[in-house]
Amino acid sequence: MKHLLPVLALLAALFGGTAAATPLPGDSVYNLPVQLTTQDGQRQMLAARRGRPQLVTMFYTSCQMVCPMIIDSLRLTRNALDPATRAKIDLLAVSFDPAKDDVPTLKSYAEKRKLDPRIWTLARAEPSQVRQLSGVLGLQYRQLPDGEFNHSSELILLDAEGRIAARTTLIGRLDPAFVKAIGETVNKP
Amino acid sequence: MSRPLSTVLAALAVFALAACSDKPPASPAAATPPASTSVASQRGDFGPPQGEPIHAVLTSPPHVPPPIHRNYPAKVIVELEVVEKEMPISEGVSYTFWTFGGTVPGSFIRVRQGDTVEFHLKNAPDSKMPHNIDLHGVTGPGGGAASSFTAPGHESQFTFKALNQGIFVYHCATAPVGMHIANGMYGLILVEPPEGLAPVDHEYYVMQGDFYTTGKYRQKGLQPFDMEKAIDEHPTYVLFNGREGALTGDNALTAKTNETVRLFVGNGGPNLVSSFHVIGEIFDKVQPEGGTIAQHNVQTTLIPSGGAATVEFHTDVPGSYVLVDHSIFRAFNKGALGILKVDGPEDKSIYSGKEVDSVYLGDRSEPNLKAVTVAAQAHAAGTLTKEEQIAAGKQLFTGTCSVCHQANGEGLANVFPPLAKSDFLAADPKRAMSIVTHGLTGKITVNGHEYDSVMPPMSQLNDDEVANILTYVINSWDNPGGQFSKEDVAKARAEAGPHAEPEH
Amino acid sequence: MRVRLALAWFGLMLALPAAAAEYVALPGGTFTSVLPADGKAAAAQVAPFRLRTELVTNGEFLAFVQKHPQWQRDKVAGILADARYLTQWEAPLVPGGQALPRQPVTRVSWFAAQAYCESEGARLPSWYEWEFAAAADATRRDARADPAWRESILGWYSRPSSSALPEVGGVANVYGVRDMNGLVWEWVDDFNALMVASDSREQGDPDLLKFCGAGAISLQEKENYAVLMRIAMLSALKAADTTNNLGFRCAKSN
Ligand code: HEC
Ligand SMILES: [Cu+2]
Repeated sequence: MKHLLPVLALLAALFGGTAAATPLPGDSVYNLPVQLTTQDGQRQMLAARRGRPQLVTMFYTSCQMVCPMIIDSLRLTRNALDPATRAKIDLLAVSFDPAKDDVPTLKSYAEKRKLDPRIWTLARAEPSQVRQLSGVLGLQYRQLPDGEFNHSSELILLDAEGRIAARTTLIGRLDPAFVKAIGETVNKP
Repeated sequence: MSRPLSTVLAALAVFALAACSDKPPASPAAATPPASTSVASQRGDFGPPQGEPIHAVLTSPPHVPPPIHRNYPAKVIVELEVVEKEMPISEGVSYTFWTFGGTVPGSFIRVRQGDTVEFHLKNAPDSKMPHNIDLHGVTGPGGGAASSFTAPGHESQFTFKALNQGIFVYHCATAPVGMHIANGMYGLILVEPPEGLAPVDHEYYVMQGDFYTTGKYRQKGLQPFDMEKAIDEHPTYVLFNGREGALTGDNALTAKTNETVRLFVGNGGPNLVSSFHVIGEIFDKVQPEGGTIAQHNVQTTLIPSGGAATVEFHTDVPGSYVLVDHSIFRAFNKGALGILKVDGPEDKSIYSGKEVDSVYLGDRSEPNLKAVTVAAQAHAAGTLTKEEQIAAGKQLFTGTCSVCHQANGEGLANVFPPLAKSDFLAADPKRAMSIVTHGLTGKITVNGHEYDSVMPPMSQLNDDEVANILTYVINSWDNPGGQFSKEDVAKARAEAGPHAEPEH
Repeated sequence: MRVRLALAWFGLMLALPAAAAEYVALPGGTFTSVLPADGKAAAAQVAPFRLRTELVTNGEFLAFVQKHPQWQRDKVAGILADARYLTQWEAPLVPGGQALPRQPVTRVSWFAAQAYCESEGARLPSWYEWEFAAAADATRRDARADPAWRESILGWYSRPSSSALPEVGGVANVYGVRDMNGLVWEWVDDFNALMVASDSREQGDPDLLKFCGAGAISLQEKENYAVLMRIAMLSALKAADTTNNLGFRCAKSN
């Protein structure tokens, strides 16, 4: 929360000199300044992922029920893509639970679940920014007194500019329509 | 009613023949009801939509969109806007309705069985509340409610195939559901069978609903919704088409003699079940719940809350036919009343008209009905002349004030003070408005005689009616003369009541 | 009209530097919310916090967008505020006659409300904080059992919103906070936490809670109707949405 104002300026500066010759479209989630920290402890602006399509989801590592299925679904979806398409996308899963999901926790989770760091980014953000990210992605979540979370479970496809191109609520099974949408978005001329 | 001629078109040939024989259906063959009166009793998926998409014609009550003459399934686009707005619920009483399409009930939707309906639900930017729609004609979870939850200033879209023919209720299903419905969020969607409905001369849209206001029946001003009464199921109003007078006076439904009339009758509830009846008619055919088994020769038909029926009858005798919920206090004390006015030549062989006129004091329905018509006239009375006011007031005086003060205004000695040449009245004519709207108790002296009694407030009268009655009174029986306006009455009604002996 | 309007805005400009937003301390504590913390029965815990006594006004929001141009309606990113954002203003920097300085600002997105609060060194209140503060009336901290309290809320729902919004500065409740009920809807920080099904892990259908019978699941007492309607409203919203009757106030942690 502390960052929504200053970081916007920073973001402008950052992109002023680099890749962003073209201005960001207004409907890009990258308009939201969110500071991520990855499972390797790297700090990265969400907007730095601009340029390559992303499959994005939110989860938390101590979740026993749905979240493992979310990660599986992400893997399943990626595997269903043809190799050329697969090579053009990245996977990003951001934690609902920044209090428990610190960098070492994310790291060991990635290792345990054999998530290749070249493909997978697991990340955390400050609590207020987690709420903002859920808002911009259209996800809902709520912490329960016992530390668990209720949350909506979705896979979201961002195009290279960070616009939401497709989403699916189908978890635990492959959603063929979603796979098709990924192919179309990634290989758009 | 009602030679069953009207049923000929719709019914199976065998039955029609039997019914046409103009004899009472005594033979066992004729008495056996047909199993079905429609060929389209099955669910109908007639394949993908064909042709160009069609924009559905939506109509406000009591009107019904024209019949569909199409022989293929189409894609039909329905655009319905939710509007929250203040409208009159009765004379001088307003209420904040939540509406589908700006009316209560909401816009009438008409599609053909097998059509693919692309539904757009828009919630006006002015709305305070989110809303959605549950169509009882939709096969799918929530009847579309989950897919149509719409914040103010937004629009939702979902698509369904109209698999079942019939007349179906739609309503808002946003929590608290009862409140959204009680505020008027319901309407009807007709899914025509593929062969269409038999042609008739008139189709009308009538829907009952119960309303709960914090104020009493006909208490003036903007009345808020009363959750307590709604939970207790004690409605202040029970109405056809969302407003007292929506179907009376100038708004009455019309037909000519020797015509067929089809009413699509729904009940939005939220609480009450309707015993729908048309005084003086017998329904030739009732198709309850849009089902395929028709009932014939029905006097009163039950319309459940969240249900609907198609009702058909033939008009034979001219006159005013009164639509009521035959739970009859609702009709005469809560507003569930409408009029179908049938014009045309008399047919004395079917109905003689009045042959004997004798006094029977037990029957109150006749004066009540007259009062309704008079009230409707008085409604337009804002611009009436003094003479017209006096004429209207005279009619109303009879049956209201005359019960106590007598028709000649002389009163009854020691019980009811005179209005004729009353010095009490002449001393302060304005006070009379207050007396009629608030009642009067305590000791008063009229023309030298003391009265110490109670006059109850005449709260069933609206401002117009009080103004007319008092204008009549003040200009009759050598009283001093003058005129009262409904604005004055409204003012008096808003102020505190009169004191019997202000000096003391 | 024009002159009065100009005067109103002029007066505001004079007043602005002095008028810092006022916050008051609320004690918090264990609180029975209409939304049980665990989806069943658990009471909510509210830590002591500070709440803005008044809603953010057009005047205040104008000063904010002047300082932070990225929140002007012609510059804001579409994903952070929908097309209706501040459209009641005459121009991006001119609120005009439809949006007087002391009227609460409406048609603001959740992102914009957050950014504003941040500019005041504050944040949006959580739902529990908001509900806690709104439970009070002029004399009691928890007036919710009083039918009059409930009726006043339902009364506002019954009024159509065709007429102009009143100005802020209604009667203060026992904490000194004004206009909690009866003026506008208000954003809360965790608006998108409100209607998640209490057991989406088994049912997987968060939509279920959004309508019909499901809405009634958590509706044990009829007293809750009035407040649950606010939850229904908030749960219908996405973070970029704006509506004619939706404003906000800010909070601070102690
Ligand atoms: C149920 C009987 C009843 C009815 C009906 C009734 N009144 Fe009265 N009215 C009374 C009584 C009794 C009093 C005297 C009250 C008292 O003693 O304080 C009274 C007093 C009055 C007075 C003041 C005294 C006088 O004689 O001038 C007026 C004026 C009046 N009524 C007008 C009307 C009018 C107009 C109507 C019809 C709209 C009406 N009343 C209907 C019983 C009735
Ligand atoms: Cu509704």
